Amino acid sequence: MQLLLVGVSHRTAPVELRERLDFSAKGVDRALTALAESPSHHETTIVSTCNRVELYVCCDETATARAAIQQFLSDFHGIPGEQLAPHLYAKTGHDAVTHLFRVASGLDSLVVGEPQVLGQVKEAFGLASQLGCTGTLLNKLFHSAFAVGKRVRSETALSEGAVSVSYAAVALAKKIFGNLKGRTVLVLGAGEMGKLTAIHMQAQGIGRLIITSRTAAHAASLADSIGGTAMPWASLNTALAEADIMITATGASAPIISRTLIAQTMKARQERPLFIIDIAVPRDVEAGAGELEEVFLYNIDDLQSVVQENLSKRGTEASEAEKIVSEEVSRFLGWLNSRGAVPTVVALRHRFESIRQSELRRLEPKLASLSPDARARVDEITRLIIEKLLISPTEQLKSIPDAETVAVYSDALNRLFGLAGDDATEDSALTSAGAARPAKKPVL
Amino acid sequence: MGMNTILLILYAVAGAAYAVQFSRRTLGTSRVATVLLVLAAVAHTFAIGMETMRIGHVPIASATSATFTFVWLLALSYLYVELTTGERAIGVFILPLLIALQAIPAAAGATLEPRSALLESPWFGIHVSSLLFAYASFAIAAVLGITYVLQFKEIKAKQLGFFYARLPSLNVLDDMNLRAVKIGWLFLTVGLITGAIWASQIPPSGAMSFGDPKVFVAVLCWAVYSFELYAQRAIGWRGRRAAWLSTVGFGIVLLNFVPVSYFFTTSHQF
Repeated sequence: MQLLLVGVSHRTAPVELRERLDFSAKGVDRALTALAESPSHHETTIVSTCNRVELYVCCDETATARAAIQQFLSDFHGIPGEQLAPHLYAKTGHDAVTHLFRVASGLDSLVVGEPQVLGQVKEAFGLASQLGCTGTLLNKLFHSAFAVGKRVRSETALSEGAVSVSYAAVALAKKIFGNLKGRTVLVLGAGEMGKLTAIHMQAQGIGRLIITSRTAAHAASLADSIGGTAMPWASLNTALAEADIMITATGASAPIISRTLIAQTMKARQERPLFIIDIAVPRDVEAGAGELEEVFLYNIDDLQSVVQENLSKRGTEASEAEKIVSEEVSRFLGWLNSRGAVPTVVALRHRFESIRQSELRRLEPKLASLSPDARARVDEITRLIIEKLLISPTEQLKSIPDAETVAVYSDALNRLFGLAGDDATEDSALTSAGAARPAKKPVL
Repeated sequence: MGMNTILLILYAVAGAAYAVQFSRRTLGTSRVATVLLVLAAVAHTFAIGMETMRIGHVPIASATSATFTFVWLLALSYLYVELTTGERAIGVFILPLLIALQAIPAAAGATLEPRSALLESPWFGIHVSSLLFAYASFAIAAVLGITYVLQFKEIKAKQLGFFYARLPSLNVLDDMNLRAVKIGWLFLTVGLITGAIWASQIPPSGAMSFGDPKVFVAVLCWAVYSFELYAQRAIGWRGRRAAWLSTVGFGIVLLNFVPVSYFFTTSHQF
């Protein structure tokens, strides 16, 4: 049984193609149900976000399964195969595990370290497991991926620091004011950037949003669309005295807020801190205003450089995160290899058990004279002997870390105990259907 | 190895752990740091208990033993702040203070507690313990003030660096600072009043007066913190100004603790 991943991501496919492949529109559940009927693979999970569409399956023959999935993708979405093929990637075994772990920890994201992807992967797996499309292998694989995502987040700073201008502004405001609940935000100008930043601020539960513009109608319409109070330009001074945060984004060709104006306001404000976010180009606020005590003045370039710095910090954290990923990949592969020993263990157990049963049958005439109690004891004792004999080989086999050694040991056991071809091995009570074949080549 | 040296080592180990957690900021290192400090504080509590049993009262009657008790109070106060707010960032500033102050009793070795009828007065106990507790609060306020200023400078200069990533927001630091100052001021007031009552009960031959440098500095402290609280209410002196006042106030407290105690005062031992 092998792990196979087939998919496209922002690295391999343009957004037009990704949009067409996105399962969320047509229903991931429908796709999962359709895929479950295919004989080429056993377990399936579909991760479908705006930046990637990836199918994780367990199969016996990767080439067949890959072709089947590609066919499915092109049928399901109505995209000709030759159009799809150049953008698809397929990974198996070690590479597939590494890929999923990198995705879950945000290393493969468009914006490195973005935290949403872990939730999306969790949802994807949750849906697949609800529909019964997952089994031992994918369950373990995805749970390991969640753990990797969590570890990366708690042990590295990969997801820290705002990476867009408006988030950087919000993060700064929070660093100054603590939480923004009850704070007053003043927006100057009705442009797109100002609006976006104001919306981010609103999401933080600010108390009041005041919007003012030199064209009163613009202010009123923005106030209508995002909620807030429009105020005439003439009462700017009053608004300034109340505000904790001022966002300026007008189209004025020269600074409209002078240092003197801010200095006057600060007196009226009893020196309460004022955070000015000047995202207008050219600037709206005289640079000198930033020199006033308790005034924090950030213009668009300052915010951009904060964003740049955060991005480069994430870059350095990425190598730490990669280390965690590769650690966890080897751990997962270790588990997988130990599962490679399971069929042999099962076969060995069956072999012993069948010998015990046949000996008991052979001795049946001699045992017949015993009381039921004594017969039960004979049964118990023979069973215990087998258990004791099996403990050590079972543990030894399961603790072997690499696939080759597992194969060698399994082979030796098969020969020594004549396990191959033993019909008892078909029983798969201890393992999933795919893994129950005795001493088959290990999973990967 | 004396009990004080063991405590010093425990605090030093906790201090190292706080430094590691401050730079790494992982859950694991944070927990280790807190556990180590709790361990040191528990050991210290035990030591205080032993001392109290040995000498029959809380060890506060000499400059050295008062430092010993002060370190204990400061560690407990800090742990209280950390456990109630979940903010560990200021620990890295408190720990060096704990270590430096604990070095005093550790270097002094075993100290003899002076025994005199004067010191048996209940006023004396309240006087000293209130003051020690007030000073512990001021120590925390000062650290909060320093961290406020450090971070304020980073944000103002648009250099969002080391402290920016690690400290709580300016507003939180400011609130915590003022709360610590309020508590400290209350205990300082109680300490000064009980001190005055106690002084009035002893014969005038004792050199207890406003002329005593110790008393003078304590009153100066009281004036600084009173002004800080007043200015905050009346003229909106919060943030950086409050932070500076807290730092200056504690500078005066430290002055009282070390040089004045050991070099200037005669009868007012600490």
